[in-house]
Amino acid sequence: MTRPVIGFAGMTHLGLVSGVSAAEKGFTLVCFDPDAERIATLRKGELPVSEPQLDELVRKNAAHLQFTADPAELKACDVIYVAPDVATDDLGQSDLGVINTLLDAVFKAARPDTVLVILSQVPPGFTRSRQREGRVLYYQVETLIFGRAVERALYPERYIVGCADPAQPLPPPFRTFLEAHDCPILQMRYESAELAKISINMCLVASVSTANTLAELCEKIGADWSEIVPALKLDRRIGQYSYLAPGLGIAGGNLERDLATVCRFADEFGTDANMVRAWIANSRHRRDWALRTLHREILSKVADPVIAVLGLAYKQDTHSVKNSPSIALLSGLLPFQVRLFDPVVPASAAPNPRRTGAANELDACEGADVLVVMTPWGQFRSLDPAAIAARLRGKTVLDPYAVFDGPACRKAGLEYHTLGVAA
Amino acid sequence: MISHRLSAPSAPERVVLFGASGFIGKAIRAKLRAEAIDVLGVTSAEIDLVSPASVDRIAGMLKPEDAVVMLSALTPDKGRDTATLMKNLAMMQHLCAAVEQAGCAHFVYFSSDAVYDSAIARVSEAVPASPQDLYGTMHRTREIIAHGIKAPLLVLRPTLVYGAGDTHNAYGPNRFRRMAQKDGRITLFGGGEELRDHVHVDDVAALTLRCLLHRSAGTLNVATGVSTSFRKVAKLVAQGFDGPVGIVETPRANPVTHRHYDVTNLIKVFPDFRFIPLADGIARCHRESTGAA
Repeated sequence: MTRPVIGFAGMTHLGLVSGVSAAEKGFTLVCFDPDAERIATLRKGELPVSEPQLDELVRKNAAHLQFTADPAELKACDVIYVAPDVATDDLGQSDLGVINTLLDAVFKAARPDTVLVILSQVPPGFTRSRQREGRVLYYQVETLIFGRAVERALYPERYIVGCADPAQPLPPPFRTFLEAHDCPILQMRYESAELAKISINMCLVASVSTANTLAELCEKIGADWSEIVPALKLDRRIGQYSYLAPGLGIAGGNLERDLATVCRFADEFGTDANMVRAWIANSRHRRDWALRTLHREILSKVADPVIAVLGLAYKQDTHSVKNSPSIALLSGLLPFQVRLFDPVVPASAAPNPRRTGAANELDACEGADVLVVMTPWGQFRSLDPAAIAARLRGKTVLDPYAVFDGPACRKAGLEYHTLGVAA
Repeated sequence: MISHRLSAPSAPERVVLFGASGFIGKAIRAKLRAEAIDVLGVTSAEIDLVSPASVDRIAGMLKPEDAVVMLSALTPDKGRDTATLMKNLAMMQHLCAAVEQAGCAHFVYFSSDAVYDSAIARVSEAVPASPQDLYGTMHRTREIIAHGIKAPLLVLRPTLVYGAGDTHNAYGPNRFRRMAQKDGRITLFGGGEELRDHVHVDDVAALTLRCLLHRSAGTLNVATGVSTSFRKVAKLVAQGFDGPVGIVETPRANPVTHRHYDVTNLIKVFPDFRFIPLADGIARCHRESTGAA
């Protein structure tokens, strides 16, 4: 058959990256969003998200990549993915309003024979509840990873497709598109696919929570988690790609969404979710590692300390401070003098009345009793521990993400604290 | 977790302290007076909260702008039976009835870590209260009664409190000091392996002051976040004496249990608060008890 025309509705992170990646595979793309302003921006080549390769692929595939705010353009599509980002609230609950509205619009605009595929993350039961008589609706699991989204869309490990009846073959246009990616296609009923997405994330959370739990124990009993991790990764039952890096709890929104969803369904159906609730509690506990360590090492010992903080963004390579561990830490340090530096976020983002914005990393260290590295920006890795030691008034460095080399810091006379090993 | 109703500290018009003659009450009264805060101490000798007649007397005494601190309780050494439980509940019933009549600006209830299941090794305010005895049940019930008060409510749950003025003889620093003084030796349960968090009474008073100044509301465990074995506590106590103090182990009757406090919430609300280290606190107790300079 001729190559199908593919549509993507919802030009936020998921839809944009997926659509552009599909164009890179040689398909003709209609990228629709009802927000005319967003489409106008995209047409100018200004992308609302930052992902490796994304700008380049938009330019390269411009000839068969159409951005439109006109739903009538979707008539040309053989397959349409409905893929808006689904926002969550502070409790991890999804706001399904956007996808409901967009799905209605796509049902109205698409040809009756067009295959519609929900790609956004939705709770179990959502897809079946939206199925309409005489229409072809599927659910497909997305496995987007921030910072690796294009790579994941171009080279998926497998496709998980939720179907009304998994025994029926996929419609040719849909199958043609999926097979172009040369990976296994797993068909299953809607609910299984919806829960498969959650299951993947629960396994990741289990790994991360295990790492965080044991890393904390390492800090108390003289073990070093970084020495243990390679041994685990060589165990085939655990695997080389397993999530075993300790961190400051689970963040970012998507994993929290699935944790909340599992708890909600377990409560509704009376199944046991105590383990999931323990993961949530552990995540909250580890989130405050820096504050507890800072209190133990400095706040309980030094009168009116000066605290240097490197990094304000919630992760490296972004200007966003939403759910930033750094801002959360600084909110607990309001009485103290803080010296702040972030490559892109201004010091004014911090709530501290006694803050000073530093010109650079070493300027932030000047005269401070302690240095805390709260965002693992790449440029911090090149800092010389001896230069840090020369600027600090105290000797303490808190580096949860192990941006610095621990032994080099100790050699420079610094008291180095990181996750997973005693200082 | 607690929140501050007043972000900038402001002294309450007056603090009415029930249980002012007790171990913790005395320390709080002294702290408030040192800060020139008007404090009215009420003792059981002046008003018997067990009596229904106390309601009118208290209501006539209270002013709507008062901060009320409730410390009065018949402690386990006065009885662990149902009758003691009912008396303790009657005390809270009468005080709350009086507060309902007269009003108050802030209510601080001194509960206890006895509201937690003693088998739980790591405690934070997120751990559900699950008392295992009548004393813990009493405090938990009183907490719930206090939630009916129409004023910002702070529930403080102190762990093991020590200090020179402690009249109780619970297993820990105070009893160890008395043992060492009287017998020249400290007798442990088993090897004294159990880890517990000990908080100095002056820290309890200082934290109470801060909460009063900020009109804090919510529930807060009063603990240092550092747990120490009874054996180490015994050694610290022994160090205060000039002569040798023996530390005697006994056959263990019960399994070893530990208790740690996650004090993250306390750090978040009072990040500059500095607890008296246990060694310093025990040394202070010794000096104050012996009258040494």
